[in-house]
Amino acid sequence: MSIRIAVGQGSCGIAAGAAKVFAALEQQLAGSAVSLGTVGCIGMCWLEPIVDLYEDNRLAARLVRICPDDAARIAEAARTGDLSGIAGLTISAEDSRFLEQQTRIALRNCGIIDPNSLESARAAGGYAALEAVLTGKGMTPEEVIACIKVSGLAGRGGAGFPTWFKWNAARQSPGDEKYLICNADEGDPGAFMDRAVIESDPHTLIEGMLIGAYAIGAKEAVVYVRAEYPLAIRRLSHAIDEAKAAGLIGQHILGTDFSCEFRIKAGAGAFVCGEETALIESLEGQRGMPRLKPPFPAAAGYWQKPSNINNVETFANVAWIIQHGGEAFAAMGTEGSKGTKVFALTGKIQRSGLVEIPMGMTLREVIFGIGGGVRDGRQFKAVQLGGPSGGCVPAELLDTVIDYKELSATGAIMGSGGMVVMDDTTCMVSMAKFFLDFTAKESCGKCVHCRIGTKRMQEILDRIVSGDGKPEDLDLLEELCLAVRDGALCGLGQTAPNPVLTALRYFRPEFEAHTAVEKRCPAHACAALLQYEIDAEKCRGCTACARKCPVGAIAGNVRQPHTIDKNQCIRCGACFAACRFDAVSRL
Amino acid sequence: MKQIHFTVNGIPCVCDEGMTILQAARANGIEIPNLCNDERVRVYGACGLCAVEITDGGDGRPLPKLLRACSAKIAEGYAVRFDTDRVTRSRKIALELLMSDHTGDCRGPCQLNCPAGTDCQGYVKKIAQGDFQGAVEIIKEKIPLPASIGRVCPHPCEQHCRRGLVEQPVSIAALKAHAADRDLAGTPFRAAQKPDSGKRVAVVGGGPAGLTAAYFLRLAGHAVTVLDAQAHMGGMLRYGIPAYRLPKDVLDREIALIAETGVTLKNGVRLGRDITLDALRRAYDAVILATGAWASMPMRVPGEELSGVTGGIEFLHGISSQEGEIPDLSGKTVAVCGGGNTAMDACRTAVRCGAEKVYVIYRRTRSEMPAEDIEITEAEQEGVIFRFLTNPAELIGENGRVRQMRLQIMELGEPDASGRRAPVPVEGKYELLDTDLVIMAIGQKPDPAGLDGIFLTNRGTVSADAHSFLTNLPGVYAVGDATNRGASIAIEAIGEAGRCAKVADAALRGESKPYFAPFYSQKAVTAADLADRETVPRCEPPVRDAAERRTDFLPVSLGLTDAAAMHEAKRCLECGCHDYADCRLIRYAQQQPISPERFAGAKNVHQPERRLVTIERDNGKCILCALCVRICEEQAKQGILGLVGRGFPTVIRPEFDRPERISACRDCLLCADACPTGALRIL
Repeated sequence: MSIRIAVGQGSCGIAAGAAKVFAALEQQLAGSAVSLGTVGCIGMCWLEPIVDLYEDNRLAARLVRICPDDAARIAEAARTGDLSGIAGLTISAEDSRFLEQQTRIALRNCGIIDPNSLESARAAGGYAALEAVLTGKGMTPEEVIACIKVSGLAGRGGAGFPTWFKWNAARQSPGDEKYLICNADEGDPGAFMDRAVIESDPHTLIEGMLIGAYAIGAKEAVVYVRAEYPLAIRRLSHAIDEAKAAGLIGQHILGTDFSCEFRIKAGAGAFVCGEETALIESLEGQRGMPRLKPPFPAAAGYWQKPSNINNVETFANVAWIIQHGGEAFAAMGTEGSKGTKVFALTGKIQRSGLVEIPMGMTLREVIFGIGGGVRDGRQFKAVQLGGPSGGCVPAELLDTVIDYKELSATGAIMGSGGMVVMDDTTCMVSMAKFFLDFTAKESCGKCVHCRIGTKRMQEILDRIVSGDGKPEDLDLLEELCLAVRDGALCGLGQTAPNPVLTALRYFRPEFEAHTAVEKRCPAHACAALLQYEIDAEKCRGCTACARKCPVGAIAGNVRQPHTIDKNQCIRCGACFAACRFDAVSRL
Repeated sequence: MKQIHFTVNGIPCVCDEGMTILQAARANGIEIPNLCNDERVRVYGACGLCAVEITDGGDGRPLPKLLRACSAKIAEGYAVRFDTDRVTRSRKIALELLMSDHTGDCRGPCQLNCPAGTDCQGYVKKIAQGDFQGAVEIIKEKIPLPASIGRVCPHPCEQHCRRGLVEQPVSIAALKAHAADRDLAGTPFRAAQKPDSGKRVAVVGGGPAGLTAAYFLRLAGHAVTVLDAQAHMGGMLRYGIPAYRLPKDVLDREIALIAETGVTLKNGVRLGRDITLDALRRAYDAVILATGAWASMPMRVPGEELSGVTGGIEFLHGISSQEGEIPDLSGKTVAVCGGGNTAMDACRTAVRCGAEKVYVIYRRTRSEMPAEDIEITEAEQEGVIFRFLTNPAELIGENGRVRQMRLQIMELGEPDASGRRAPVPVEGKYELLDTDLVIMAIGQKPDPAGLDGIFLTNRGTVSADAHSFLTNLPGVYAVGDATNRGASIAIEAIGEAGRCAKVADAALRGESKPYFAPFYSQKAVTAADLADRETVPRCEPPVRDAAERRTDFLPVSLGLTDAAAMHEAKRCLECGCHDYADCRLIRYAQQQPISPERFAGAKNVHQPERRLVTIERDNGKCILCALCVRICEEQAKQGILGLVGRGFPTVIRPEFDRPERISACRDCLLCADACPTGALRIL
């Protein structure tokens, strides 16, 4: 029996302290036969750092929320094979269900293989699909495209456009010089599946891209990855080097006539560069601003040559589809949406992390079944899908099926898979403003509707949350939203109004409360709209609130009811938090 | 090459295959609105103004999304529209958003505050260049009586002239009078006239409003007859304004020029007495009522019915209509009640009639007087005695004739709705004033006689629509003092008549073009902004000595010389945008009603900058179409300019914000030429 220890070291795990745990284990295991390795991210954020113990490549124990102090115990258990000493560190059965309910294709190797090892990837089946395409009986590019067509794979970056169609268009476009580009400029707040794939299983991405390059006839593949992902860039570079050395990248791949060079381009941090034409501009060294479509990249993209751009998650599915056949992929999901989709489940949720599920599950199953529902016993209010381009879905629509069309019907979008859960303490106006602040800041400034329109939307929302809103602001806001959606040049601007429009659609009374004569924030989140009062009946005169008040707005003698001077009050809520007798009320 | 058949706004068009919708429409003589497109550079798609709706994609079904005409290709069977509600709304918001972050003055405050919208900056510039004829041409686009108006206008233009923030406003009115005088003295300018339309228009009233409406309708090709109740044309200009301000021969010559265009002038015809409105409506295709406000408002004090009490207008009319016969008031005491220009005309006329003492009774103080300051000053110089903070309480007579006036002493209280401090009586405090003649000049109102079937306002004025100028009767328009708010200054009447003429002309041609105040971008300017300007004293026309002028009705003002006029005109700060005539942004912004104030918010603040000797850049007027950037890169092959920053604060600067890049500029001026707004100015 040999025990192997694997420490999950994605960016998230490292942030939670995984590198320190690794170092401690390394120290403890010095001179022992136990092997210690790194794996990527398994996607259970709330349990990081995670250490897995394998017995003959069988997962013997998953230890969670590990700190360096636990290293001695773990090392001891690994050396002796007696795991009883670390039983307390093991993942609970309930938490294990998080993974058990998933169907992992794009994430199939994440958190399991060593991302820094081609050998580890190949042991898990890496590059088998590429071999199947290029060698032996092989597949023609047309057959590859046909297989992808059968699978029903659609763009996982957000738009959900059929992958085969784009590949085919690029293949059909005349010209010898074609490019295959991977969009790894993952910018939606709250979405991190692309990072996880690159950090945990870079070879899956490379393999998917090589198959894509073969299908469209590209001789060069570029990964455009945001510079904010240094670990992903490092691991991907290393993977490219290893693959190159193994003859999997470069000239005559696997000894065939197929040649494809690979490189990485680090983005400079503009959200809009996730928009494919802006990404191309940026690749060319230009200012990251979208181009007009048509022409589409398939006709005139990078350097005006036929180009195909897919997202990381899309490519991560490709090798699996080739290996298992398009039908296997299409067997999962709904009529219009096939296969699986990765979601980044975050916000006010019990179990946050990456969830890959077959299309067709309901939002309720994901949020309450896999995610365990809302944290801290609070009430579920809404879930934001698709980040700043998406929209919110309220509780009454939780049984909506995860499907491109069904989600669009709610006003939200599948998007890249961000799923931010909000509870009853979230103010939907503030939420809309949060996303508008983001998009207004990330607008490239090219088109009028987005440059000035998002700014004006942001200003109106700002007015509303500051208590200066007027009832007619809501109609003005809606009118502006619709105009920007219709008139903006690229996806960023066209979808920027979505969070506002859906919030208005499902939570209009909440907006109205903010703009009514007696301005109120029902979620008690907008400081400017809050009023604090002390109930003389309940107040014991303990002075706790008066002592906490930073501006001295609370007056009263000991054991006498206190009062708040509303003119002095800055509505910070310190009194509300300080009162032990529930005497301070917040209106 | 294959031909594509399509329609634009319903007009059948044909073009070659492969064109964009914008190009295809252009090839058929239709210009789809656009700001960032220029055939010399690659399409860009920033402005969003060229959005079009495809109501038929060739298969009988509409396309769901709006298309940008600059990039979308035309296809067989397309029904392209840029006049649908959806497109108009989209364009409206794009323009509103652009204007909400636009800092500039389309037109100077002079023009914006001229009730007739006269291009003051334009004609002042012509005068500065010594082109007096050119100046008159510009003035006569709005004012057919410039020599008269230049003399009598209280010139709101000058009140708002920004030169006033430096030292004193430009003498715009005097410049206008000078240019017009030179025109009358030589071969007068004659505006182009459209061919006869075959339509007949009757104008009732030959005052400034009626004559203006007649002039512009005649130029538009219609047969116009002006009917006037008085013996001569000119209305209040003739009968309400004394000859020392406006010599009758000047007015006569200007009216003669209007008659020369072919307008028929008929005097001595009074509506309701000599002809009915009904008859006019039957005989003419359109009737324009410009009957004025000829009745003085009563003061509603006891004794008003006494002999020796008259209205200001009646008093002035009596003297003007006597054709040089001047009544003798020598030895008499005259009390004029009121603080407006009519009161000043009345008191100064009384002085000229030999009155021994002339009082002006006004219930507030001098600073609240609505009359022009120069009128008050000149009246004072001529010996008029002002009794401020007094109000007539009673007129006391003797044998039916007024002998005394009891004055209530007033004091100023809290400011009222107009912002002026309201006069309040001082309880029980009165004074007696001996007087032989009381002239009430506290306002005028129209006489509704003859306006059969016309709806009146509760002020007794004719109710006319603010956009169509129509009364309740079809084909009957009404303008000037007789309408809505009532009596105002001549230039108000002229402005309204000019706008009415446009609307009526369109209606006579079967079109509906109601008037809407056009949008103009305006910016706030303070004295601090102009602190770097050199002060140059205002040049005003010299006036005759008070002692001399108080005895006759000859002109008070002696007018400007050519040299003085040109010197004065050069004081103009040229506030209005140099590019107004060519600016595509304002052209589109005025094609449909827009309200950028809905989106008022943060504005990017820029100062005009001169990085080059030849070009001034004002980013306040920049719409970030990046045509300058693109043309510099793609055509001039220099790439000197670039977009700096992102989002709302994005600005065009030397590429990468490196000023030294400018040194590569070869002065080709392509950028300034391509700029669709006034952001770039060739110096």
